[in-house]
Amino acid sequence: MVAAPPIGLNEGRQGHYAGAVSRLAAFAADVGASWGLYTLGLGAVSLTVELATGRTFSVDRHQIATLVVLVAWEFVYFAYQWALNGKTIGMAMLGIQVVKADGTSMTPREATLRTLALPLSIVVFGLGFIGILVQRERRALHDLLAGTAVIYSWDARAARLRWLARQGPEVSSHP
Amino acid sequence: MSGYIDVSPNPINDRLERMAQSIAERVAHLVIDSIDLNAILERIDVDGLVSRVDADALVDRVDVEKIVERVDVEKLLERVDVNALVERVDVRRIVDQLDIESLVAQTELGSIIARSTSGVASEVLDVIRAQSVGLDDFFARWTNRVLRRTAEALPLGPRTLVPVAPPSGTAPPVDTRTGNGQ
Repeated sequence: MVAAPPIGLNEGRQGHYAGAVSRLAAFAADVGASWGLYTLGLGAVSLTVELATGRTFSVDRHQIATLVVLVAWEFVYFAYQWALNGKTIGMAMLGIQVVKADGTSMTPREATLRTLALPLSIVVFGLGFIGILVQRERRALHDLLAGTAVIYSWDARAARLRWLARQGPEVSSHP
Repeated sequence: MSGYIDVSPNPINDRLERMAQSIAERVAHLVIDSIDLNAILERIDVDGLVSRVDADALVDRVDVEKIVERVDVEKLLERVDVNALVERVDVRRIVDQLDIESLVAQTELGSIIARSTSGVASEVLDVIRAQSVGLDDFFARWTNRVLRRTAEALPLGPRTLVPVAPPSGTAPPVDTRTGNGQ
């Protein structure tokens, strides 16, 4: 049995600005997911080349090409998912979502702009992410450039109710 | 005696009677005009008067069934603007008053939700998210402390998603869109 959600989460957080840990965890999950998918894709390409030509395909011999493919893949990974519903795989896992600064849904234009601005937040030791902690609306550099914000889309109160439902009547006496 | 004569056979008596009648009417008018009804009503103990009325006996005499039978409910309902009525109901306030947690924990609703949302994956996700939100709050609290600002001074979310709460001690904003500005 996994641990219970904190008791303090008895209010809905949907629409509130997402915090640094949730965003960082989502980003880490996305880096892992995109890298994993890229590696799988690369493996599939290598296997196909080997089966088709009978020669081994080594990444080391095509470093520039694989780097270009990696950059293009990362761009597609983030831009496509953000344009689709404002969430990447990692964001969906952590229950957060990207929206326009005014709270409305993001358009493909903002999604593209945000993806292009994301590397700017990463360079210079990730200082662009400091805004998530210190900025009033928890917006990083790439958020400010693209006119976006990240919010919780996960309903914490519903999660607490689900947890209560799983426990049964014996915990109902808890405050 | 052949019959009863209505008027006095004496013309002088008749005239006197008429004069007396007109004087009496005039006096009556003068007396009524001089009476201050408000002053009299003020002196009447209405509560005492009402307490003496047997309301139960009064109600017993009313045939409610008959009254209800005569009411055309369909016609009455047609005249009611249900949409306007519903718009005036503050549903959020009603929901806030519900103790949903005890409802879920103590009723069959809980087992229904548990069945519909069962699965280790969703449970694990809930825990990961809850822990992340807890850590988010922890870091936000310390950042605010370092920057010497209060959480209340910061917006919770975009205005379209999280309405700005009014400062304490002021009346809530009037929602003119739903017609709730009563």
